[in-house]
Amino acid sequence: MTAVHTTDAGVPTNKSAPRRAAPGGAPRRRGSSFDRLLPYLLLAPAFAAILWLIGWPVLSLLVTSFRKLNLKELTRGEVVWVGLDNYTEILGNPDFWIITARTVIFTVAVVGLSVLSGLLIALLMRQVSPVVRIVLQVTMLLAWAMPLIAATTVYQWIFDQQYGILNKTLVKLGFDGFAGYSWFSTGTSTLAVIGLLVVWQAVPFLAFSLYAGAIGIPRDQYEAAAIDGASPWQTFRSVTWPELRPLVMMLTFLSMLWDFKVFTQIWAFRKGGPDGASTTLPVLQYLEGISKSHFGVAAAVSVVMMVLLGVLTFQYLRRLIKQEGTL
Amino acid sequence: MGKGAHVKGWRGLAVGAAAVAVAVAGCGTSTNDSGGNSGEAKTLTVWLMDGSAPETLTNALNKEFQDSHSGVTVNYEVQKWTGIQEKLTTALASNNPPDVIELGNTQTAKFAADETLLDLSGDVSNLNGDQWLGGLKDSLTWNGKQYGMPFYAANRTVVYRTDLFQAAGIEPPKSRDEWVAAIEKLKTANAADPEFQSLYLPGQSWYALLSFIWDEGGDVAKAQGSAWAGALNTPEAKAGLDFYKKLVDTSGTKAPKDVDEATPQQFEVFAKGKVGMMIALPWELGSAVKADPTLKDKTAAFPIPSKTAGKTAPVFLGGSNLAIPGGSKNQDLAKEYLKLLSSAKYQDQLAEAGAVPGTSKDTAKLATSPLGKALAASAPTGKVTPTTPTWAAVEAGQNPLKDMLTAYLTGAKSLDQATSDANTALSKTLGG
Repeated sequence: MTAVHTTDAGVPTNKSAPRRAAPGGAPRRRGSSFDRLLPYLLLAPAFAAILWLIGWPVLSLLVTSFRKLNLKELTRGEVVWVGLDNYTEILGNPDFWIITARTVIFTVAVVGLSVLSGLLIALLMRQVSPVVRIVLQVTMLLAWAMPLIAATTVYQWIFDQQYGILNKTLVKLGFDGFAGYSWFSTGTSTLAVIGLLVVWQAVPFLAFSLYAGAIGIPRDQYEAAAIDGASPWQTFRSVTWPELRPLVMMLTFLSMLWDFKVFTQIWAFRKGGPDGASTTLPVLQYLEGISKSHFGVAAAVSVVMMVLLGVLTFQYLRRLIKQEGTL
Repeated sequence: MGKGAHVKGWRGLAVGAAAVAVAVAGCGTSTNDSGGNSGEAKTLTVWLMDGSAPETLTNALNKEFQDSHSGVTVNYEVQKWTGIQEKLTTALASNNPPDVIELGNTQTAKFAADETLLDLSGDVSNLNGDQWLGGLKDSLTWNGKQYGMPFYAANRTVVYRTDLFQAAGIEPPKSRDEWVAAIEKLKTANAADPEFQSLYLPGQSWYALLSFIWDEGGDVAKAQGSAWAGALNTPEAKAGLDFYKKLVDTSGTKAPKDVDEATPQQFEVFAKGKVGMMIALPWELGSAVKADPTLKDKTAAFPIPSKTAGKTAPVFLGGSNLAIPGGSKNQDLAKEYLKLLSSAKYQDQLAEAGAVPGTSKDTAKLATSPLGKALAASAPTGKVTPTTPTWAAVEAGQNPLKDMLTAYLTGAKSLDQATSDANTALSKTLGG
């Protein structure tokens, strides 16, 4: 959405710029080198700040990933280069590939579910009466405002084996098999519960953003569709979707970045257990870096994660380039 | 136009790539120095842990030290256990680390092996070395050298309700069989109350499991040269795990099987009055009494009984060591501070507060309460977890013993499967 708007806004200024420049045609050549340099000079402070804030940590991470940096080296300030040892260690570990696959599947499932739910709620909000909509919005705002750990604790109690309200309700409904059922006995079921929590936390933002996009679609387009006798599905496909698509794309991209790095909830639930079966890459990074104090190895995991995220979001990046290219 | 589009495209890619980079770099590790005051005059920075030494002791100790060392100020800080490993890592890496630190006994080997602590082997005799508590001394010894001084220890005992025991006509058990019988008897006597639990035992109380495994003559891991390998698949370890299950089954405890004694805090459950016994540390009984003061006169403790009648099972000696960071600027002062703390006067105060003192074999002051008596009875045979730098990762990371307990108790895995899986995972973590 933002992408579309900025470019829209950019068009008129581009048009007006030559118009303003036209009367003063003569001095244009004289001041050109300064004029041409000026934008870059104005950008320089911001660029330097970004480079320092973002570029430096990334560079330091890369450098660390080629060092042996355990507690000993850290406290004594020793610099030990080990080349690609950290990478061969993590890539040579068969568990690493299982963890990577698990992380990717988890991310894709959670992103898919949360964007879809967000979209459905956004479309629903447009249809319901204002009172219902406000109730819905307030509810989502509250869910969104809830701190991560507080929400995690609530979910832990909901799914608690003995005292959880879910098991109690299921038993009351006649599913006796759920008396004392452990939701955290396997990695898949643990991750499913965590995934549900992450989706629950992500939906409000997605729904609000998509709702904002949806109310921006001109009403007359729907009227025209109705006059043409389009079914609701056809209307969605030909009117709503084309307008919302760039926004959905961007939100999916952002969600991928966020959900790929989910750590707090996973660690708070079962520390990536049982038997390490809900361990994802961020958890692995914590285990290597913080639990074992192998900071070099953890940095290598970070670099691999960065590459993976790049691959995962490659499609979006490519389209971003294409889109900007055609405009 | 074509060229312009190309440039724009790359800019877009750069923006995206930067976003990815920021996203991941956010979870990278970064360490910042955070030291105390820089070395003007003499300030001795001492970090002790929350709840370890009573305030009366530390106040008196710091005052005496300052009085006898003119110009020296003791900067005394109390640290929280949560996240202490990260905090210590950062502090030790700084230019100005604290001068005396308290380390959990299971963490000490890691910090010693990474050469962050001062070798105190030469000062052992100066610090009451002949009175050191054996279990703690093992925990701070790395490659034959001592990297700290024992501070205090606390071990688990079985805390019970005297009134309920009397009502059911039960004597504190002297053997494991008697214990199981007592659990059953107490359960029958209180069968009218469906919420009553004769023993509260959560599924992942793995320090209790250590006792049972050691009592069978087994261990969690064995040293093979300088490396350690898991020993959970031995018959002794399996027997220990089986006894744990027996306790859970006999007592019918309603405690969750997939958490440890800290979620919910077992003393909170005990304080509600519907629990007959719990395997607990002294502070847990203290907290229960704080929540319900009437419990003070209705509770006592007995040592975890052994399968050999009349003996007590070896217990896990939880506790702390004191160490001097290698980067400390006031090492001699720090040694004198430790020397003062190791003196009988302060050790007695530790014992009085209900802990097993680290540098004094005199437990007379401890044995004045029923709980203290139980503590004093089992402390001498107390043991610690394998002294290897990699053990800290077992506790700070994913603990295979906990997974093993839950898997076996819930029936998700057979005894053989659970122990062999946990053994593989443990060997891997211990292997670094």
